[in-house]
Order: sequence, then C-alpha cells, then structure tokens
Amino acid sequence: MKNKPNPIRNALLFFMKITLIHMLITCVSIMMGYAVDSSGQEVLERKLTMQTENADVKTVLAEIERKADVKFTYRPRIIKDLEKVNLDVKEAPLYDVLAQVFGSTLGYEVIGKQIVLKAVPAGEAEDEDDTPVITPNFAINVVGRIVDESSQPIPGVNVLVKGTTNGTTSDADGRYALSVVDQNSFLVFSFIGYTTQEIEVGNKTTIDVILVQDIQSLQEVVVVGYGEQKKVTVTGSVVAVNGADLVKSPAIDLSNSFAGRLAGVVAVQTSGEPGNDASTIRIRGVNTIGNQEPLIVIDGIPGREGGLNRLSPQDVESISVLKDASAAIYGSRAANGVILVTTKRGKSGVPQVSYDFNQGWAQPTRIPPMSSAPQYAAIMNEIPIYKGISNPSEWDDAWAAIQQSGTYTSPTTNQTVNANYTPLDVQKFADGSDPWGHPDTDWFKDAFKTWSPQQRHNLQIAGGSESIRYLASIGYVNQDAYYKNSATFYKQYNFRLNLDMKINKYINAQVGMLAREEQRNFPTESAGEIFRMLMRGRPTEPEVWPNGLPGPDIENGQNPYVITTSATGYEKNPTDYLQSNFKVDITQPWIDGLKLTLLGSVDKTIDQDKIWETPWYLYTWDKISYEPDGVTPKLQKVLRSTFTDARLTQWTRNKLNTNMTAMLSYDKTFGDHVFGILAGVTKEKATADHVEAYRKDYISTAIDQPFFGGSTQLINGGNDNRYTYNRTRLGIYGRVTYNYQEKYLAEFLWRRDGSSFFHEDHRFGFFPGFLVGWNISNEDFFAANVPFINRLKLRASYGTMGSDQVYYNDVLQEYSYLSSYLPGSYPINNNVVTTLIEGVVANENFTWERAKNSNIGLDGSILQNRLDFTFEYFFNKRDQMLIQKTGSTPTSTGIANRLPPVNLGEMENKGFEFTLGYNGEAGGFVYRIGVNAGYNKNKVVYMDETTANPEYQWQTGHPYEAYLAYQSDGAFLDQAAIDNEELDYSEVTTTLLPGDMRFVDYNNDGKINADDRVRMDKSDVPNFNYGITMSFQFKNFDLAILFQGAAGALLPFGTESGDIGNYLEYSHDNRWTIDNPSSTDPRLAIRGDTYYTGGNFGANTYFLYNKNYLRLKNVELGYNVPMQVSKKIGLNGIRLYVNGLNLITWDKYKMFDPETDNGALSYYPQARVINTGIRLTF
Amino acid sequence: MKKIYKIWILVAFMALPFSCDTDFLNTTPLDRVSDATTWSDGPLSQAFVYGVYSYLGYGGFEEQMLAVYTDEAMFTHAGRGIEIFTQGTESPSNVAWMSPTYEWDNMYEAIRAANIAIANLPEATFTNVDKDMLLGEAYFLRAYYYHQLVRYYGGVPLIDKLYGLNEDYSVARNTWAECVDFIVADLDKAATLLDGKDTSAGRASKLAALALKARVLLYAASDLHDIPTASANSSLIAGYANKDLIGYTSGDRTARWTAAKNAAKVVVDAMAGYKMNLGAPVTPEEGEDNYRALSMGGGSTIADKAAGAELLFQRTETPLYTVENNWPLGGIHFGINNGPNGYHNWAGNTPIQQLVDDYEIMDQTTDEYEKFDWTNPEHAADPYFGRDPRLYATILFDGATWKPRPSDVAAIDPVNQIQTGYYDNGAGGKVNGVDTRESAIENWNGSRTHYYVSKFIDSDPAVVDNQSGFQVVPWPFIRYTEMVMNYAEACIALGEEAEAKIWLNKIRFRAGMPALTESGTALRDKYRNERRVELAYEEHRYHDARRWMIAPTTLGRGCKSILVNATLKAGKSPRVPYVYDKTVYNYTYVVQDETSNETRKWVDKMYYRPIARDEMNKNPLLVNNPDYTN
Repeated sequence: MKNKPNPIRNALLFFMKITLIHMLITCVSIMMGYAVDSSGQEVLERKLTMQTENADVKTVLAEIERKADVKFTYRPRIIKDLEKVNLDVKEAPLYDVLAQVFGSTLGYEVIGKQIVLKAVPAGEAEDEDDTPVITPNFAINVVGRIVDESSQPIPGVNVLVKGTTNGTTSDADGRYALSVVDQNSFLVFSFIGYTTQEIEVGNKTTIDVILVQDIQSLQEVVVVGYGEQKKVTVTGSVVAVNGADLVKSPAIDLSNSFAGRLAGVVAVQTSGEPGNDASTIRIRGVNTIGNQEPLIVIDGIPGREGGLNRLSPQDVESISVLKDASAAIYGSRAANGVILVTTKRGKSGVPQVSYDFNQGWAQPTRIPPMSSAPQYAAIMNEIPIYKGISNPSEWDDAWAAIQQSGTYTSPTTNQTVNANYTPLDVQKFADGSDPWGHPDTDWFKDAFKTWSPQQRHNLQIAGGSESIRYLASIGYVNQDAYYKNSATFYKQYNFRLNLDMKINKYINAQVGMLAREEQRNFPTESAGEIFRMLMRGRPTEPEVWPNGLPGPDIENGQNPYVITTSATGYEKNPTDYLQSNFKVDITQPWIDGLKLTLLGSVDKTIDQDKIWETPWYLYTWDKISYEPDGVTPKLQKVLRSTFTDARLTQWTRNKLNTNMTAMLSYDKTFGDHVFGILAGVTKEKATADHVEAYRKDYISTAIDQPFFGGSTQLINGGNDNRYTYNRTRLGIYGRVTYNYQEKYLAEFLWRRDGSSFFHEDHRFGFFPGFLVGWNISNEDFFAANVPFINRLKLRASYGTMGSDQVYYNDVLQEYSYLSSYLPGSYPINNNVVTTLIEGVVANENFTWERAKNSNIGLDGSILQNRLDFTFEYFFNKRDQMLIQKTGSTPTSTGIANRLPPVNLGEMENKGFEFTLGYNGEAGGFVYRIGVNAGYNKNKVVYMDETTANPEYQWQTGHPYEAYLAYQSDGAFLDQAAIDNEELDYSEVTTTLLPGDMRFVDYNNDGKINADDRVRMDKSDVPNFNYGITMSFQFKNFDLAILFQGAAGALLPFGTESGDIGNYLEYSHDNRWTIDNPSSTDPRLAIRGDTYYTGGNFGANTYFLYNKNYLRLKNVELGYNVPMQVSKKIGLNGIRLYVNGLNLITWDKYKMFDPETDNGALSYYPQARVINTGIRLTF
Repeated sequence: MKKIYKIWILVAFMALPFSCDTDFLNTTPLDRVSDATTWSDGPLSQAFVYGVYSYLGYGGFEEQMLAVYTDEAMFTHAGRGIEIFTQGTESPSNVAWMSPTYEWDNMYEAIRAANIAIANLPEATFTNVDKDMLLGEAYFLRAYYYHQLVRYYGGVPLIDKLYGLNEDYSVARNTWAECVDFIVADLDKAATLLDGKDTSAGRASKLAALALKARVLLYAASDLHDIPTASANSSLIAGYANKDLIGYTSGDRTARWTAAKNAAKVVVDAMAGYKMNLGAPVTPEEGEDNYRALSMGGGSTIADKAAGAELLFQRTETPLYTVENNWPLGGIHFGINNGPNGYHNWAGNTPIQQLVDDYEIMDQTTDEYEKFDWTNPEHAADPYFGRDPRLYATILFDGATWKPRPSDVAAIDPVNQIQTGYYDNGAGGKVNGVDTRESAIENWNGSRTHYYVSKFIDSDPAVVDNQSGFQVVPWPFIRYTEMVMNYAEACIALGEEAEAKIWLNKIRFRAGMPALTESGTALRDKYRNERRVELAYEEHRYHDARRWMIAPTTLGRGCKSILVNATLKAGKSPRVPYVYDKTVYNYTYVVQDETSNETRKWVDKMYYRPIARDEMNKNPLLVNNPDYTN
C-alpha cells in the first residue's frame, strides 16, 4: 500500500534534481573552458538599445548592467546628485550611452566587465587627485573578495588606495576590482561595523580580505527582547551566533549546530535518529528541578510550535541567547533563558538567487563493540559454575572440566554443571567452519549499511525595491537511517516568505510566512526496541542466514534485520506547520522617536501519526531438517509476529497558537543623554485537539484505512492534557534604557504576566530586571593612559524571572488549583468501564517559579582590537521552585502520589564563562581563533528531604540529580579475601563468593546497608562545556574548524546481558574470571542476578562511567571559484565545500557516544556526517 | 494629514483586542471533571467507585506471582528482586519485589480513594444510580485493602480521614485487634448496604463482604496472631516489644475460632458452590475436568462455565483492556507469562518439585491414594502416573500433552508433548527438550525446575499464547471452596472433626479423590495438604504457611527441580524428531537442588514484610515489624 502521490512534492523534487544536474554540468564546463577576459575596449563598444523617461540613475545603471552584461561599481553618494535620465538609443555603443547618462559629472574606468564610476573632482581635490580617470596601461589591476569571519561576502565595502580618492566598493558577492598605480601603495578596506584594514599592494594582484566585526562599532546591533540594541550599549549577558556559522554544519537539526559555539549554552544530543535527533539545550546548565527548557522566540513570537530545531539554517540571520536578567522582559517564561531567532530578510536591489545543495553521508559515531561468539560462549560457560558449584575451591577444577568435557560434577556436593556451549561448539564458533549452526554474528554489521545518505537543497531568492523587499526560500531535506533497507527516514519540505513593505513615510509592515512539513517515518518498532534487539542479539545466533534470508527472531518475532524494514508495516508521522506573523510599525509624524508596533501571529500545527502493523514472517531452522541434498539446512518460513491480523493506530493533533502584541516605543536624545522607552502588551492563546482511532482484525492488508478494520476493538484514546488543552497568557511589559555618552549605561525592564495555569488569585507575577554598564574605555583618562586596551566594558545585571512550565512526568500541572478527577479505565464484568481517579490534592496557592539571576561581565579588546574577550560570572538563585512534598509526606496519608506543586524549592547555580578571540593575518593567511567555555555548578538549597535520612544522602547541598550510590571498592579477589572481610554483608547477600563486589562502609558501622549510599557531586549533565573555533582564509580557500568538549557528567551503565543478550567486549575484557581473578572488576552476571548488578545495590559507583570528551565537532573546507570563472556562465559565485560533523571523538571508553544518557545503550546513536556541498549565487 | 488620521483609526481598531480583559485567562480543563460535578452525577460517581476497584490491579495475575514466595513455585528470571525475599535478606532499605496489589503505598492510595467515596456519597444528590450500592462497594473495598495490608504487615495505621496539605502526617500503627475490628465493621456495613443489589462479576456483593469477613476472622484466630502461641514458636516474636501490633496478646482464642467458623458457615450455607453435592468421588478424568473448570472460572470454552458460580469476588478479564498488553503483561496474557519457552512463552512462575510431590498417588496394586514418596521405587519409576487428578490440571511435566505447537516448533515436536528432559540421540549425545533452558527456542525462558504451571492457562487451542490469543480467565479473589476450607479449618480447631470431614470430602469427591479418614493431627495435616493442593497458585499458601507457622519448613526447605533423562533401551534407535516413548527409552528422574537463581532460606522476620525505610523516616511514630531495624 503506497501513499497517494503528491504532485507538488514530486514537482519540487524533479526541479531540484534537474537544477542540481544542470548546475554541476555547467560548473564543470566553465572550469574547463576558462577563457581570457574581455578587454576594456571591447566592453565599451558593446551595443545596446534602451529607452528611459525621467528614470533615476541607479535604475538606469541596473538596466545597462543587464543589457550590456557589465557591472558598475560605485559609491552610492557619487550618483546621488545626478539628474534623472532620459534616454532613447538604438544599438548605440556603451561609451556613447554612458556619456549621455553621466555627461561630464562622472568618469569611469573599465576593469574586465566591471565599470568603476568616479567623481570628476573639482577645485582643490582635482589637484591632489593623481589618479587618471582612464586607467593607464602600467597600472596594476588588483581584484579580490571581501568576506566576513563566517566567509559570507560583504557588499558595499569601501576600498580605497590610501591617501587618494581612487577607490571602489565591493559588489553583492563581496568582490572588487581596482587599478593601482604604485606597488608601494596601501589598500584601505573599510565598512561600517567592521575593523578597517590596510594591506600593502606589493606585487599581489589578488587581495582577499576577511573583515572582522568591530565589536566597538557604534552601528552593530544585537537582537534583544522586543528590539535591537547597539552592541556598545548592551548591558546584559547576550551571546549570538550568525546563521552563516550554523550553515557550516551538515547537521539536519539546527540544534545540533549549537554545541561549542556559545559560551554558557549547553547542548547535548542524546539520539541520532532521523527526525528525533535534536539536542537538549540548557542555558547555564541546570537551574531548577522543574522544566529546564529555555524559551525560544522566533521573529518576535515566543514559544512557537516546532521551536528552532527544524528551521533551515540558510533562513537564519542570527540567533541571540539571553542568559541573564536581559531575559526578564519575557517574564513568566524567562527563567531558563531565552533564545531569539531572527530570520533573514530581503535587501533592496536586483534579485539575489542562491542555491545550496548538500550531499552527506552519515554513520554512527560509535557502535558498541560487542563480544564475539567465542567470547560470549566463554562467559556463558563460566557463569553456571558460580551458581551451580557452591564450593568455590572447586571452581578451578570445574572450569578446567567445562573447557575439556563440557561437564563437571562436584565430588563433595554432587552438584552437576553443564556447559552452555560444548568444547566443540566453542571451537566451531572460533573457526567459522559451520556458518549455519555456529555463526559468529555481528548484529550491528548485519543490520547497518556503512554510510547512510542525507541530502539538503535550498533555494533562496531575495531582493526588492525601496517600497517592498522580499526573501523567499524553499528547502528539501531527505535523511536516511543507518539500517539497510531502512523504514526509518526523515523528509522535510519547507517554505519561507519574508516581506518588508514600506507603505508610506510613517508605516512599515513586515510579513513572515512559514510552511513546513516534517515527515518522520519509522518501522513499527521504536528505535529503543530496535537497538535493544541489536544489543541483545547473541553472536552465537544468526541474524541473517548464510543464504541471505532473514534469520529467526530473538523472541516475539523480533529480528532487527527485518524489523528495521517495512516488512512489518510502517509508522508515518507527518507534522505540518503553517506559521505566519504580521507586524506593522507606525511612526508618529509629530513626535520624533515615537513608534507604535502591532504584531500578530497565527500558527497552525497539524501532527498526524499512522501506525500500520502487519504480520510478518521469518525463516527458522529446527537444526534437524535438511534439504534433499542432506547438507543444506531446510529453512521454514513461519509467521512470527505476535499477532496474525493487521492493525491500525491513527491519530491527529491540531494546534492553534495565536499571539497579539502591541508595543509603543519612544527614543529620544537630549544632548549627551539618550533615552529609550518601550511598553507593550501581549495576549496569547494555545489550543489543541486530539483524536485517535485504533482498529484491528483487518481481513486483509490491502487497505490501510480505519473503516476497513474489524469492529471488535475500537479504541479512541489520548485523553490527556498533552494533547487537549486551552491555555491563555497575558503579558504587559516594558523597558527603559538610558545612557550618557555611551559611557554610563542603565536599563530597566519588566513584565507583568498572567497565565491560565494558575488560580485567579495567584495568576499574575511581576518580573523586573536591572542592568548597568560602564564603557571604561570611553573615559578620557582611560584612552589616554591605557592605550594598549582598545575597549573595555564592565556590566552587571540582576533580575527576577518566572517559570510557569510546571511539569511532572511530562504532564503540565495546570489546574492543580482545582479538585478534580481524571478519567481512566478498568475491566468490570468483562467490560472496560470508565473510571475516575483523584488528580492532585488541590493547591490554590501554587504559582510561578522565580529565578533571581545576577551577572557580572567584562568585555574588552586589546592589540588593536585583534584580541577580544568576554568574561562572565553569574549567580542564579531559583526559589518558589515547584516541588512535591514527597520527602516529608508519608505514603500512609494516601496523598504521596497526589501531591500538588507547591512553591517551596530553592536552588542555586553559579559559574563563569569566557570567550576569547584572536584575529590575525600572516602571509596572505587571514584567520580567527576563538575559545569559549562555560562552567556551572548547581546546588539544591531546599527540596523537602526526608530529614531522617543521613545528611550525606540528601539532595540538598548537591547538584540536582547527582547520583546516590554505594561506593564500590573493587572485588573480592578470592575466598581468602572474603574470609578476611570484617564488614557485615548480611543485608546484601547470604553468601559472598569470589569476584563479588566490595562496598565501602561509609558510615563505619561495620555493616553494608542503605546508610552507605552517598550522594555524589555529579549527574548525567556536564558542568563544563567548551568550544574552540578556528577559521582560516587563504586566497580562495577557507577553512573552519570547531572542537567541542564537555566534562563532569556520569553515565549509569548497564547492558541487558546474559542468556538474554550479548555482553560488551569491554565487559568480557574487564571481568573477574577463575583463570584471571581481579580485585578491581567483579564477576559478570546474567540479567542482573548478582547483588551488585541489579536491585538496590546495583546503583554503585563501579557502573558510573565518566562521560568527559573532546570532539572534532565540525570542519568545513571551502573553495570559492574565482569570479572570472563563475561570471563566464552568468553566476555571481560558486562555492564548493566539504564539511563534517562529529568527525573524531576522544573519550575514555570508546564504547558509546559520550553524549548518550542511555546506560543500556539501547538507543539510536549520534551521527558522524561527511558532507559535500555547492553554493551557487546568480 | 488625512493619511495620519486614517492611521489612528487603524491603530484604534487593532488595539481593540488588547483591552485588558483578564477573563480571557479563565479557562476550564478539557481532560478532567471537578469533584462537585462528580458527586452530583450518578454515572460519574459510579466511575469514581470503579476507580477504587482499579487498585485491585491484575488481581493475582502479576507477572511475578505470590506463589514464588512460597513452596509452590520459583520465578525463572533473575533481577526482579525475588531472591532478596526468598534468601531472607530483605530489610527496610532493601525491599524485595512487592506486588502493587498489597504494597503499602498503593494500598493507602486505594484507601484514600475509598475514603473519598465514603465521605461524599452520603451527601450526594443524584438519584439515577443506586447510591447505597456504591457506598457498600466503597466500604467493601476499603476493608479489602486494609485486609491486604494487615495480612502482610500486621497492624497498620487506620486512616479514615482525608488528609489535606500541610497537616501533621505522623501516625502510629493501630493494634492487630483494632485493625481486625475495623475491617469487620466495614464489611458488616458493606453487607447491609449491598443486600439485594446487583451482583455483576467483578463488583462487590453482600456474599463477598461476608466471605471476606470470614477470611479475616480465620486469620485472626490463627496461631501467628495468637501471641502466646506465636511466641512459643518463634523467639523473635517472643522478643518483639510491640506484640499487640501483630496479634492478640490476650483474650479467648476459642471465641475467635468460633467467630471464624460462624462467619464461614454463613457463606457456606448461602450458596451451593460447584458440584459440592457429591456423595462419592467422581472418576479421575471427571475430577480433572472439574478442577480445570474451577480454575477457568467460566472463562474458557473448553471447561464447564457453570464453575464460575464459585467466584464470590473476582477480577474479570477482557482483551479490550489494552493496559494489560503493556509490560508487565496482565492476566489476559497469563499463558505467555507462564507457558513453556517451546511455545514462545516465558516460563515465569514455575512449580517446584515440592509442590508436585504433595499431590497424592494411587498405589497401582491397591488403588488407594497415598502420599507420594521418592524412596518408593514404584513411585520413583513412574512419578506422573496415577496422581491426584488435580495435578494434571495444574502442572505440566515432561511428556504431558499440551496445546498445538507454534509452526516453527511443530517439526521438533509434532505430537504436542512437553519436553523438559534430555534424550539420548543415539550418537553419544543428547537431544535437549525444546522446553528446557538448553532448547534452541528462547532458552532464557526455559523453566529451571523442568515444570510449568497450567492451572489458569486456558488450554483452548484457539487461544494461541503469544500470538493474538488472549484468555479471559478471571482471577479468583475469593471462591466458595476457600470458604468451605475455612469452615473446616475452624471446625478442626474446635474439635468438630466429623463436620470438617463432611465438607472436606465434598471437595475431594469433586476432584475424584477418596474421602478422608484421619483424625487429630493427621487430619489437620491432611486438611493443610488438601488446602495446598486445591488452592495452589491462588495466593493462599503464603498466608497459610505463616498463619500455621510452618513456613520455616515449607519455604525454608529451598527449591528442588527434576532432572529427566531418557536413555535408549537396548537395540532401539532414537525417535527423530523426539517423541515421549516408553518402549524406546528408559526414563530416569532425579530430584536435585535448584540454586541457579535463589538459595532459599527462612528467617522469622519473614513472617511480616518490612515497612520501607523511607516511610519509617517520614513518619516518626511508626514502629517496624520484628527484626527490621534501620
């Protein structure tokens, strides 16, 4: 059964394929057919026909560019005063046309196809200007390309020969061309917001430049809550990353490009499954025991469905992260920090068309190295001895006998132990002589392909006029999974349209539209189940028969080779987003600086899921039947699913989020005093609906629709406030900023927020933030006395913010102020009846969590702004934290599981961050090296402990979710060690055996029991995160490298091993054995059947594995095809690049990806991606 | 200027939605109902009371059954916290597996739900549902949940109020006597309120209330809770400082036995039971059928549905209750949880040899039933021949006939016989039975004792375990036969042996077993064995062994399993595929200790479960049970 064809999708796909092939062919042919450029004279003699009437010069030039295939380069001001143009020429040479346009007011020179316009200076200037209008023959033609730190071209950069008026500006692709008379002259590259650079011409003819953003720049702005601020006046702790940097990562999910780029932003990716591979993002680590998600604001709208994960990186202009009180203007959702995403908008001018194509290949960063068949057999043969021979002094003999004869009978107790695998079996596993009966299966290898392809296409068109600007983009993503014939894959179609309209002098409007379909496709079993199978698969059993037919199941029909395909049905989970936002800015004409902004958004989300499960077949061999040849095993095709009828589960969720915002702002300068005031109100509503249907007993798999199913079991589930809700919020907020000469800065921001989650009387909260800053380097005394420091700013902030995201067990605890009953079901009289169960004991008083966050920061730069730095120290206190009083409520009250949220918890989190960056240049190399790092340590201050428990076990005083564990003390080497043991293990086990684990008697009471558990200082969240970024530019090549690392997290490790599943090779290699007893590693167990592998004592430090790592996270090597080449085929630019993700990881164990939180390793591992890409600009 | 005027009109319109209307924030939940709405509406109130039932969980059909804490069975899979209990290492900080059907936390949650109903129903205003019935059910259920607590923990805090937030939650345990009185009082109220009401399967009834009262009174009269007797049998109890928490320190024991007898008699006389009117034993085949019908409780097409009448209080099943499809699987999957690995089932709670041994065997020369004895060569040579018919409806052993094999196993076993032995392959090696832990089929799900339970598994071939087929066999919380047993036990204790035998023989005749003739201690021991066999796997042995204070010699004797070997008779060649055949093979049966999962041990603290360390530390007034310090 196939899906209906979708004509639009198919057309898009077809278009993309065609485009790609076409581009590649063209690209190759131009490189081969590189030809000498046209001469200046040829250009000027080109004929053209055109008519204009009272047209402005700029428009005329644009038309000439198009018709004559030339390119004008000029500083806008030189044409500013030219008169309107009236032209009527037919097949006239270009020089003639230019003469008509410019008369004698402008001169020009021709470089290739480029025509550089120059003012013909008058008076004094004329005397000083030694540059002739027409380039002399002996001039040096210098060309080059100007890009920013993230290799994005910068148009409009002024390029000037130092001390002259000879200059030009860069074009849209950042390219410039200039004739220089003197080898000894310097070129000065200047652009607002960037540090000016001077480079000596020498004998170079190509001078490429990376302009470094001048952080001091007066014009550079940073996106902050409900507005923008000049960087120099920013007082909050704000870090930002450009979309251009994020584009360098081949990660399909945008959140996976964050790690290592932003100091204080912790990103951990715990799964690599296509469609479900987002990173968990935490700002400054863990600040609360409750919900820790930062608020995500996209184009001014907070909490949009879908978040930022699936945004196309090419659509992102910048991302700002508000880490401190600067987030307070988002009030009740700001406590965990705010991430502001701004999408790209069009710039006026000719349409800029760019097309990006990426082809990547992914594979797991780590596949757990499992035991081989002989290794597994050895383990499975030794364990029965430990259980079956009660006298350890006989173990040596028993092991020898098992290896020789496969059986041992104790002479003293008459106990018999038989080998699970006879010596002959073991030999066959090792020598591979019997692939049917004695395989040595690598379950991962049989189920995986080596590389899994992924593709991204993105087409973007931007441009516009004075009155309307546009940016439109469409994108397509197709990501395959690791499995052979994978039923798991992810597809995405996205479309964005951003319009900017200047309606009149007073009114500007913006429209943003997003349409996106995220198509997640899975087999009928989850990735967790599939990886559980892969971990369980015993190497002694086949996954695939030697003849290529699928092998038998592990149990319940589970064979990963088959389950990963569509042989068992499918799960399709498309989610559609239709998001639109509309903004109108009205500036009042009578009062300068007053502006009214109206902003609205309507976001519709439709999430659908369809699981179609069909019976499946596997091939089994009973090990006694053979084909007539007597040698070939006879396989039998048998139904092995746990059901015989097809069944369908289908649900649809519909969400509608609306936001209406009105803001009034007023900016005014009185001499040296600069004021800004903003006030706004926002109303938000979020509603959701859910329907779900289930049918079974399909008489055929021909029709996978609900109506076709049997009527015995109809289930309409999903009654849960995760899917059905009606939530509203109201916020009133504002900001006042003040600065004196940009020397002394102050800001006050606030929000009053109300939410339907809380009782009427506790609904509104007030959240103020105070920020101050001092630009020390702006002080006269400083500039005079401390010349080696170019810039220095000290800033501080304090704010209170809220968190209304009250989740327990993933369910929002709204309405906990009501006494209410939740529906459930139970069988009575052989029918399912509806039940009602008490929700929580009502607590009218519960309200926001409250964050009180302080921050001190120091920004600066030295060495002529080459080295810039930022240091931050923060101290976050969270109180009114929503906890359940489980620690002090005995269960005999009957309410221990009915406890409502109460605002009693307290927590602290403090730490520091720093960012260092160095911009350098040597021998044509331009580079930037940056280091960023963040450390944080949280501590629970109050969370309702059971105070009668020993204090060293309390969560209070330790990081949240720090492990409570027995302290492992190695293993009992032998019986003598047990005999000498003085501690009492009677609450642990009845009989200690050699190879059992020892524990530390922490409280020194002579016995091991629950009082010996100790609260540690580490959890599974890293507390130190860092990144090292490097970018190099050399001629047309650029290279960007990101190293990223994290430290301080632990993984509680424990695989499902034994007769039920395989062991890691690490476990095999590091275990107590009869042959090789150990005092550090204990014996292995089967399914947790020793006290130290399961149950209460299983939570011990031996199984807490360090997750520290450093990885080569991201590399991109790019080559920009020289303009002369790309121009040849009418392209403004061609960029070819290769990049990669998670290329190398350094960690201690090399068994699992250190970002995982799944100690059983039954999860879809993170991806290593190698990607090649091309970017074409038209 | 006109333009600006228009702008302001626009502004005014656009600002309209922003009127500071905070009513906008008053939303109502879409996924729940308020308490006030509930108690003014009959069907909603009934739904609430159904919710109180839901704490009955899977009944006794937990994946880990109570049988594995007794000398009935052992649990096959490691890592479930079973051995912590059976090895005697349980402590307040190292609590072993506990079923939610009796666990402290869950019971108090259930009791609160009952208390809410009891508090609200008298004031409720609806008339479209029988309020008295709902209230009677709430009292019954509160009594049931307290009875669960009391028989596992002894006296517990009696909570009949509704706690709110920020109250003083410390509360002491009530005495054993207070708890028994409280439960009996609730049951008396329930019996009155439920008189003449609807008796749908799965809901409480007047008879259920009276039967539960009879059980509680029988427990109250037993040795363990008569502190002088218990102290004589256990130095631990003798040395316990708070004896009144776990029994009667004084009082008239005869009166307690009499109360227990009378309470049971009320129920015994109130109904007929299933085939309890026989004057002589039925044939062994009929006996087996009768017993199977009783364990199917009317929930199978292969057994007499009339036997469902025995069930005084039951947890019904329906495949539509899909909660039971999620792990841990529920009673509709009892066959999967417990059947043989050679059927792709999971072995779960496998009978141990000591249970098998307690089924009587027929002497093949005298046709008299006698106690099974391995030292008797005739018994040992053919241990599964001529046994108490109930064995065949309870336990699967090597060679027993069972359901059709799944298609991928059919070639290995074309005749559908259990294979838990090891059979000579004629080439110096052996064929491992397909239902052993050395099988090619999911060997980790093979029985360690070489037995499987079949009682409660629907043997209807149409119910294919682990493949779509879900059984609907109900869980018997209380059945009529238990009441008869309880009555007989009280009679024996009071010296009314003839009366006891009349009733016990009815049970035996139904099973195809001859009448009892013993008296005195021999009769008491026969009665105890009869109860063990008849009520096997029904959550009685755990409590009976404690009440009678015989647990040290029942659970304490460890697990034994059987090793079945088949060697070829001279001149015979092996059957391929293997089939049980006494003409080809000589079968030998060796009983051995089974320690691969647990090394069982009895210590007297195991009479009671510990109150968990966390609960002790949250409630300073609590006192723990004997020998549970920490």
